Amino acid sequence: MKITELLFFFMLFTSVNHAQTKDFDFSSPINIKKFADFLFCDRDYLRAALEYERLISSDVNDTLLFKIALSYSIIGDYPFAIKYFGNIPSPSSYVNAAKLELIKTYYLMNDYYGVRSFYNDTLIEEINKYQLEGNKLFNFSYLFTKDELPSKEEFLFPFNLSEKNEVSEYYDWKQDPPYKSSTIAGIMSALIPGSGKIYAGEIGDGIVAFITTTVFSFIAYDNFKAGHNTRGWVWAGVAALFYAGNIYGSVAAAQVHNAKITFEFNDGLNVFLQKNNYYTPAYGFCDEN
Amino acid sequence: MVIKIFFFSILIFAVSGLSQTDWVRWEKVEYSYEKPNRFCQRDYSFDTESASGFIAKSAVNTYWYFFSELDGDNCPYSPSCSAFFVQSAKETNIFQGTLMFFDRFTRDYNIYKRYEHYPRVKDGHYYDPVSLYTLDEDKIEYIPPSVIIKK
Repeated sequence: MKITELLFFFMLFTSVNHAQTKDFDFSSPINIKKFADFLFCDRDYLRAALEYERLISSDVNDTLLFKIALSYSIIGDYPFAIKYFGNIPSPSSYVNAAKLELIKTYYLMNDYYGVRSFYNDTLIEEINKYQLEGNKLFNFSYLFTKDELPSKEEFLFPFNLSEKNEVSEYYDWKQDPPYKSSTIAGIMSALIPGSGKIYAGEIGDGIVAFITTTVFSFIAYDNFKAGHNTRGWVWAGVAALFYAGNIYGSVAAAQVHNAKITFEFNDGLNVFLQKNNYYTPAYGFCDEN
Repeated sequence: MVIKIFFFSILIFAVSGLSQTDWVRWEKVEYSYEKPNRFCQRDYSFDTESASGFIAKSAVNTYWYFFSELDGDNCPYSPSCSAFFVQSAKETNIFQGTLMFFDRFTRDYNIYKRYEHYPRVKDGHYYDPVSLYTLDEDKIEYIPPSVIIKK
């Protein structure tokens, strides 16, 4: 019996303690890199970046820096992404891609002035494919701000034929957005209660505003007509408040309508940029050979 | 026998203690499915920071105490019309706040396709904040109706 127990525990502990008998150095740079690459391709970008960062203390190379920056950019840690993209050394094959990624990062931070100043500072002197893509992003940034647009010819210049139609539509929209005038909305509601709301696209609100103002005005009129002056003034006051509130609300409705239009336009622009991956190239880090 | 228990205990603790230390981060959370009842958590205090706020809050406290408490939580919006009045009077002034309130009151009557206009708060109310109506375009932050507001 004792021999059986002894054998049982012997087997148990040997299997637990020596399950992996191979002498494996998990902390060697090559294994850290393999693990980091695995995490990167598994889209575990934060942990991939941390593993790559373990390596750069001993072996700094541009691919590592680029992958760290890319990881931070993807997970939305933009200050770190900017820091690492900016550290890519000049003779590297990733330097132009890093510049484009930096512009993309400024886009993701909604820093459109950052996009322009970075492009002007860095890419303007180089004539290559990346400058052309950078120029597209540079021009696109004007669509997100209230700044005056460049001429249409200048704006469309970097885009290829297949893109020109869609980009041209965005340009035209930006030149003449389908906004509603808050002044017109206010005046319309002053003339016919609710009409300003209908003009601003709020048909239901406009009809309700017309009904409430009309009903309370009629009640006031009816009371005055019947000689109930006190009640007449009370209802006239209520009608006046609904009337004035509706004029105010029509002006506000036009502003909200314009904000909605701008939101949808910017949303469309973002979808367009995402579809084109912000004109950054595919790196093929995770392509299987 | 003692040795058996000793080894058995080591085995059990080794397995349970070191099996997967990472799981603590993913442990279940206690989640309540109760609908938050903001209606019973009203703040009846009077605002003393601004005259507009004080006047509006006094009127709203009176309305809450004599009418709304009896009537129930019927306003479809968040903030409710009365809370909207107080907030708008605080953010602007009593006159502009009153106009904003009457405009909101008009919108309150409109039951036509609200779901296409307003995003929903988690508790089901339509989100319609004061910031959209102060006439300050910089304060307007449009939120599409498809978004669920978490607050």
